[in-house]
Amino acid sequence: MKKLALTAAVFFCLSCASLPKLGPAGGAFDCPSPFLTEKTRLIHAIEARVSGRVQSVIGVTLADPAHRSLSVAILTAEGLVVFEAESGPGGILVSRALPPFDAGDFARSMMSDIELIFFWPQGDLSIQGVDTQNRKTCRFEKTDGDFVDVIDAGEGTFVLRRYLSGGAKKRDLTIKNEEGRSYEKIHLQAFEGMNYSLSLTLLEAEAVSTKPARQQFQETIHEKSSQRP
Amino acid sequence: MSEQAERTVPRPVRYAGFLIVFLILAAPLSAADDFDVLRQNASAIRTIQADFTQKKIMKILSKPLVSEGRFVFAAPDSVRWEYVRPLRSVVLSSQGQTRRYIAAGGKMVEDTSGGVKAMSIVLAEVAGWMSGRFDDNPSFTASVKDSAEETVVILTPVAEGLSRMMQRIDIVLLKRDATIRSVRIVENADAETLIDFTRVRINTELPPRVFQDVP
Repeated sequence: MKKLALTAAVFFCLSCASLPKLGPAGGAFDCPSPFLTEKTRLIHAIEARVSGRVQSVIGVTLADPAHRSLSVAILTAEGLVVFEAESGPGGILVSRALPPFDAGDFARSMMSDIELIFFWPQGDLSIQGVDTQNRKTCRFEKTDGDFVDVIDAGEGTFVLRRYLSGGAKKRDLTIKNEEGRSYEKIHLQAFEGMNYSLSLTLLEAEAVSTKPARQQFQETIHEKSSQRP
Repeated sequence: MSEQAERTVPRPVRYAGFLIVFLILAAPLSAADDFDVLRQNASAIRTIQADFTQKKIMKILSKPLVSEGRFVFAAPDSVRWEYVRPLRSVVLSSQGQTRRYIAAGGKMVEDTSGGVKAMSIVLAEVAGWMSGRFDDNPSFTASVKDSAEETVVILTPVAEGLSRMMQRIDIVLLKRDATIRSVRIVENADAETLIDFTRVRINTELPPRVFQDVP
């Protein structure tokens, strides 16, 4: 009986949820963007909390915003690779997934979270405005029907919120850039099925050249020869 | 080119290759082509301490991911395998009990996931190696190559599951002082792990709580 009541309550809450209203911003503005503008490799220490349990791992992400492609590896502190996958317009290719990273929809869900963190939402700008804290917000309607709010929280901090089309909140993300380093701290809270949270701390980041290796080589040779007296 | 002698015998290894380190640290070679000597030398080891630097090479990385830590062993079966950076973790094994701790929320938290069981099995295997029991498990074959300055032990997995995870493990020992210099685990053409050991100390006194506490 208790379960039935709980299920009904959850259903009611989901069906009655609606997107938070945005107030007028007093004119158009450039949408806030914490997103990557060039191909970048990032290494983060990650704390994952699920049902009161905590696990720490190292995450390596190679993200190419131009092609919306990702390569991801998750390692234990001891260096064991427990998950490796790539995603792009062609779909997701998982090359390694050890338990519990082999669970059901883990790969699709994780790649989707990583896209949310690093890439512009794929879809149209739906509305601009300010949220209840008077922060500039751009709302995007994604091609999959979800909505994403991109909020400028000031001082190098950005908030991303992903909603189902009905308005139920799916993800709540805070991205902090510190001392000129993008993605220094990331906190993600998921409100879908089993709630979980991820806290990421940047260890290393570097832009990755997209020039073909041959072209890079030629340029290096040219640069060295021009430096000779 | 120095003269090389090679032979192959069945070897006892079941899990992650990096733990081969324990074996070699516990059993410095004085005659690399004779595995009986490994057993004899192992019997003289009471304690081992060493620092290590681990370099993880993967296709996704432009340069190796470097980790640092320390390793402590006391006969017959106590082990502390600790990473201090970039992510702190400690695995303690003593008197048949294994615990793993990880840094989370600014403190060390005990890991209660299934990974602890795996580590427990690995460290039990290690305890066997410490006692010089190297040929109980046919999952690997081992080759020993000698040169003037160093000895390389090459472990090649024969079990199908294991061979999907790694191609081979190279363990390099310096002949000069009979201590380990490095362990190289070749997972595939794009991924390998290199562990370099420094400050290896044999038979020094250890505080007994080193295998129980995580300060």
